[in-house]
Amino acid sequence: MKVFPYPRLRGTVSLRVDSARVKAPAQPREQLDSRARSVIERAVALGAAETEDWETAVLTVSATIPSKATDPTGPWSEVVVVAVLTDRTTNTRVTSTLARETEDGRDWCGELQVLRSDIHDRAVLTVQVIATVDGVPGRIVGEAAEDWIVDVRSDVPTREQSFDIKEVGFTKGPRWLQGFSEAPWIVNASGTVPTVHINTDFEGMADVLGAEGRGPEGLVNAMLVSQMAAEVWTAVFHSAIGDLEIEDDGTPLFPHGWQGEVLREMLPDVVPERTLEDALREVHRRRVGATGWTELQPRIQYAAMRRAEVPRVLSETVRGLDKLNREDEA
Amino acid sequence: MEAGEDFGPWLARQLKLADMTQTELALAVDVTRAAVSAWITGRATPRPEAIERIARALNTDLATVHTRTTDTQAGLPVGWYHRPGHADGGRELGNAAAFAFDADVSVLARETCQNSLDERLTANGQPVRVRYTLHELTGEDLARFREVIQWDDLYPHYEAVREQKQKVGRVVDAGLRDMYERDRLVLLRVDDYNAAGLTGDDYDDGRFAAVVRRQLDSHKSGSTAGGSYGLGKATLWATSRLGLVLINSTLSEPHEGRTERRLVGRLDLPWRRVNGEACAGPAWLGRPDPDSPGAGVARSWWADEETVESLHLTRESAEPGTSFLIVGAHDVASLAEETAVPDGDEGEDDDSIQRMHHRLVRALGKNFWAAMTGGGDRLPLLEASVRTLRNGVVVVPEERVDPTVAQPSRTRALKAFLDGTTVERLTETGQVAAVEVPLSLPVQGGGRTSFGEHRAVLLVTHAEDADGKPNRVVTMRGNRMTVRDTAVPGLPLVVNPFQAVLLAGTAAGPQAPFAAEAEEFLRAAEPPEHNKWGQTEELTLTYSTSAYRRINGLTRETNAAIKTLVARPKKGTKQGGGRLAPKLTIGSGKRRRLSAVSMPVLEELDAQVLEGGAWQVIGEIRIPPGGHEWRLVPVAKFDVRSGPRPTIEWAEVAGVNNCQVVDGVLRFSDGARSAAFRGVTDPTTHAVRASLSGLVVELRTGAGELS
Repeated sequence: MKVFPYPRLRGTVSLRVDSARVKAPAQPREQLDSRARSVIERAVALGAAETEDWETAVLTVSATIPSKATDPTGPWSEVVVVAVLTDRTTNTRVTSTLARETEDGRDWCGELQVLRSDIHDRAVLTVQVIATVDGVPGRIVGEAAEDWIVDVRSDVPTREQSFDIKEVGFTKGPRWLQGFSEAPWIVNASGTVPTVHINTDFEGMADVLGAEGRGPEGLVNAMLVSQMAAEVWTAVFHSAIGDLEIEDDGTPLFPHGWQGEVLREMLPDVVPERTLEDALREVHRRRVGATGWTELQPRIQYAAMRRAEVPRVLSETVRGLDKLNREDEA
Repeated sequence: MEAGEDFGPWLARQLKLADMTQTELALAVDVTRAAVSAWITGRATPRPEAIERIARALNTDLATVHTRTTDTQAGLPVGWYHRPGHADGGRELGNAAAFAFDADVSVLARETCQNSLDERLTANGQPVRVRYTLHELTGEDLARFREVIQWDDLYPHYEAVREQKQKVGRVVDAGLRDMYERDRLVLLRVDDYNAAGLTGDDYDDGRFAAVVRRQLDSHKSGSTAGGSYGLGKATLWATSRLGLVLINSTLSEPHEGRTERRLVGRLDLPWRRVNGEACAGPAWLGRPDPDSPGAGVARSWWADEETVESLHLTRESAEPGTSFLIVGAHDVASLAEETAVPDGDEGEDDDSIQRMHHRLVRALGKNFWAAMTGGGDRLPLLEASVRTLRNGVVVVPEERVDPTVAQPSRTRALKAFLDGTTVERLTETGQVAAVEVPLSLPVQGGGRTSFGEHRAVLLVTHAEDADGKPNRVVTMRGNRMTVRDTAVPGLPLVVNPFQAVLLAGTAAGPQAPFAAEAEEFLRAAEPPEHNKWGQTEELTLTYSTSAYRRINGLTRETNAAIKTLVARPKKGTKQGGGRLAPKLTIGSGKRRRLSAVSMPVLEELDAQVLEGGAWQVIGEIRIPPGGHEWRLVPVAKFDVRSGPRPTIEWAEVAGVNNCQVVDGVLRFSDGARSAAFRGVTDPTTHAVRASLSGLVVELRTGAGELS
């Protein structure tokens, strides 16, 4: 829980991206369709632009802040509202001052320029209210409760992220995969995005993966898919927990990007009945400490299994098999 | 000299009213009958001394004869005429047209505004102005009003109706009790200006007879008219608990040489027997018509300003239009729903005038935002306002209904269309996209052949909170009244919230093909409630039994067009892996909430910076059942934007309530559900001055808790 040595704004600060346009050198700028923005998901997909190799994007950002902020009798003066775009992968922080739109001081609007090269894939956009408090200028007195995502690669404005799936023949594929030519699939969670490599050289693999329906092929497909998913989730959990930033007193911090998201989604199953921060500390302590890491493995397996819905798929498969058998007998 | 009416017709009417022949007047004025005849036909005018004698003969003053703006009081006085019971003994125990509606001010607002729109004077291009006045009378003012409407003559009729155990009887009973027990009467006046007014003869075809004399007569001016059933006016009487409406009309074209202050009252009650005489139902307040059998029938009269004033019917200007005064107005619907209205300075009860005021404003905004929107070179069709008085004193000041407040995004859409600033596809918030939607029109008189293709205009813009539910399409035709308000089916969940408006018929603009024909077709497809387009008897009769399918086609095309504008096309999964891909997503917001955390949590933190620069915090902790066994350590850190946070040491930590501190670890009392501790930081361990940074306090478990 946070406290501040000066009065902060109560009430909600919210923001919205009202338009987006991109520009490539020597080409006319392109205004993106409103479908490249989602007000519900709070995301902008700049990848939806048709202009290839665009270099700069301009977002129109509007913010609504409590009108108390600009109340002259309040504790805040020289109130400024800024849009802040951060990408922690590239350690970029871009800000832009918004202009007051309405008399009551609630609505603010402005443009924010984004360089394509500044952002790896996703940046987070928020709005901060800055004011002079008790004679100290430049204090943050309020921040948007819900941020937006600016995705420079995706063409769908969504907060959801997918791991990569690549279908390749291992025998003639990249060198490092050639060693696994007998494996049907390999999970690699070390890159920017975890990737599942599916071996198309493995006989029948493509057929099983593509199978559907309630026949035997469909049942095998469901089992196989949930098995693969469980492996992926185990791998990404280990990958995410293995590289944490640590504070002075040994407290681990949640990583950003997919690693943080994976930990937040799986930790409640790994260390139940604890807050997320505490669960992370516990897992980290066991991993780097002398004892407890091995004992934790069943819980990680369990969390991955649940995330991959193995129990549900297995009972459905059993029921499906049963039905197939009865149909055979009839 | 200023004179209202030509002398001839005026004199003729006064003779008729006074039941006096030309010969009798000639004798009284001491001229020949031929001279009187010459005055009446306009061949001659009387000399001043003759005028003096005429005034005496008609029992009036000189000025009345000179100005001729009112009728003399000669002859039978203004009074109530009750239609005698039917000779065959038939009884009508209510007005079916009135039962078709709820007695609800929002229905009244819809129907009356629509009538005013239909009667708008279009030649000057100005909007029709409609003003609703709620006026509550109590005490003296109420007594005076009752006197003017000759309440003593009416009361026996109400008594008789009240005795009948019919629906109308109960309503009347409630109205009388409200008036007598609470000493109040609510008058709801509906004025329109820049409208046609009740023109035409008292009995023959025309607006006056359609409204005052007839039921189900739809006397409408144009082809875009809203009503086509003549039902709407029944809401006026349905809104009155006493079935009583008084009317003052300023006519757009003179009748009997006059335009201003044409007055009449109409009472709608069921069959009743009063003083041994059967009454069929309706009654009229007016001047007895000498031409009618026994001079019994009451007709409209031209009243003087004083009478109009006493009846609360004074109009603000000589602009044509009509004022309806609903006596004993009530609002059934508000009894059921409704939240509190913004701080009323007095007690709000169910039928309070403040509540009716707000409901009227809302109903007008909801139904007529489109008619109240102008743009380009076109003014709005309608302006509406509501005000509320009590005994002539303002209770709620006049409030102009603002469509941009009631329906911000739909109003923006329509305005953009009228201004011609629509776009083809949406890129920025605040834009309005316009696309055409085809409506294939059938030929009249049956058959499957198509007459032509009308192009309706579909407008789509982003939704605002004030609009109500998002992702809906509102449909309207030339009169710009909301006919349908439906959700757009089959949209993806993540679509940006929008509002859509479909303008069909003449609403689609002058350049739209077959607009007039489409207007006629859609009007035929509109039921009395004006709430949808579909199969109606009129549609079947004028076109064919399958004509309504063309409206389904329009709906389909509309929904498809909206989808193309707002929904992203579904695309196949670009990556392989079949059904594996959906299992490998993160951040979908479906993250599980922590189930039943048994750990105590920090609930509230009260912190201040002490003089020495140290933070003093008092933390309140909530302990779930069985959670008192946890051993927790409070930890303080400086808040930073990203990266590791600098730790602060405690100078002192102590239990305040339900807990003890042993070696910096909190130990809670058995069974405690809450606890509090106090901590003071050690300023020498501060990385920055306390006043310059935020402070984070957390509870952390001791080592080795997980088994």
